[in-house]
Amino acid sequence: MTVEINWIAFLEVFGAALLAAVLVVGSYAVALRLLVRAGKAPVVAPAEFTDAITVISEKEARRAEKAAAKAARKSPLTEGQKKLALVGAYGAFGVSGLAVLAGILLIVFNH
Amino acid sequence: MEAAALIVVLVIGLALFFDFTNGFHDTANAMATPIATGALKPKVAVLLAAVLNLVGAFLSTEVAKTISGGIIREDEISQSIFPAIIFAGLIGAITWNMLTWLLGLPSSSSHALFGGLIGATLVGASAAAINFGTVMSKVVLPALIAPLTAGIIAFAVTKMAYAVTRRYDNKPDGRDGFRWGQIFTSSLVALAHGTNDAQKTMGVITLALITVGWQSAAHHEPQLWVIVACAVTIALGTYMGGWRIIRTLGKGLTDVKPAQGFAAEASTASTILASSALGFALSTTQVASGSVIGSGLGRRGSKVRWRTAGRIMIGWVLTLPAAGAVGALAALLVVWLGQVVGVVVGAVIAVFVVLAIFLRSRRNEVNHSNAMSDVAHSGSAVKVKRNPPPTRRQRAILREEARRKAEQAAREKAERKAQARAAAKKIASEKKAADRERAAAAKAKGDQR
Repeated sequence: MTVEINWIAFLEVFGAALLAAVLVVGSYAVALRLLVRAGKAPVVAPAEFTDAITVISEKEARRAEKAAAKAARKSPLTEGQKKLALVGAYGAFGVSGLAVLAGILLIVFNH
Repeated sequence: MEAAALIVVLVIGLALFFDFTNGFHDTANAMATPIATGALKPKVAVLLAAVLNLVGAFLSTEVAKTISGGIIREDEISQSIFPAIIFAGLIGAITWNMLTWLLGLPSSSSHALFGGLIGATLVGASAAAINFGTVMSKVVLPALIAPLTAGIIAFAVTKMAYAVTRRYDNKPDGRDGFRWGQIFTSSLVALAHGTNDAQKTMGVITLALITVGWQSAAHHEPQLWVIVACAVTIALGTYMGGWRIIRTLGKGLTDVKPAQGFAAEASTASTILASSALGFALSTTQVASGSVIGSGLGRRGSKVRWRTAGRIMIGWVLTLPAAGAVGALAALLVVWLGQVVGVVVGAVIAVFVVLAIFLRSRRNEVNHSNAMSDVAHSGSAVKVKRNPPPTRRQRAILREEARRKAEQAAREKAERKAQARAAAKKIASEKKAADRERAAAAKAKGDQR
């Protein structure tokens, strides 16, 4: 009895999954970085404050909002540069979303 | 034939019950991280997971085809006994799932299903009825490789997410924004879960339909009503499983940061979706656990708690043979007592066991230790320092700052010394002048005398 194993398929899964994850996480992280450059550092409070969330408290969220506003005021960029960074951020968010959509469509059409 | 048809109806019912418990068990796995980081409200997370599991079940049927047309050779098993063997396999899977749930052992519903089916086929038919090539290439190897793949990818992308958003001036880094992203990545995990886990039940039902000739053996594609039934059942199980998450939230979830959660979910979803497209029947629990461990290691100053990690892995490795043993026992009943009596006796014993486990579990109060999801539990296999060591660039900045401070201190010291020397000089010259004045005055007084 011979057992044939398609090792290439495992490499394909690894390659495809790595590429997808790098595209989604990378472009999303770049988008956040550009948002910060544009002086719009996101401060997203948790949807619900529970005991489990040790990441941020309501007080910390308020303090973070103040710090973000202060940092935005002190930004050395010109208004034009800030706008460019904002456009870049939205573009990177778009790339991240498109990567997800492309992945799903590939699965649907391969099916 | 009528007995076989009756057993197939029982198999469909049992398979759908398995599907329900699968959804019930795995809601926490898909939604553990977004709730832990506060990206989603628990109720919204549960609803979203249910809807996306439903959608995911319609996206691909590759995994269903692997199960219905690859693992077991239908031509090697007598048609009359085949439905009873599938029934025995399902009983093995469900019993093992319930037992591990009661004992709080890490397990995988998918591997319990494969183990149950393989064990029952080995005893009820023969080893020749199992396609070991497919079992090895589409079940065993993916089970070993997929969590590792997800872990490596999660490690790499977590490092990347932190590196891209890191700031060296202590100003806001915007990493809170990963919470928005988590809404999408956790939804993707739920979708991926639907594309892989719902398929397994579809595959089992399709296999049962083929054995009694209700579906052609030439087409292993699940029928539409099978897809709809499995999709709705897993979605229902997912929604009903929400209470576990809400109870889990009291305490016990590991400290997952939004960037880490986002990277872990992206890695889980991409690994499962890529595998589903190629028909690999994975355990979503194991893949998600691999990602959580990998992303934990991607944070600075983290290290593996090998004892916890080892215990989780032993649980995973044990699932397949243990569920196989229970499935084999159920198949033995069929072989000894005949298919109808064997199935009835097996079903009655299984109902008693499941009821006993359920009643036993009611005695213990549900808290974080027995309601926590396997994925959240796997997070404790990584120890993350509260104050991580600085990066190379941060160390360079710190060194530069220290050098600048030392230079400043040396300059100030030199200035102070110079000032002190100047002051001493001034005092000395003033003293000298005063002495000179005093001497001159004394001389003048002497001359007058």
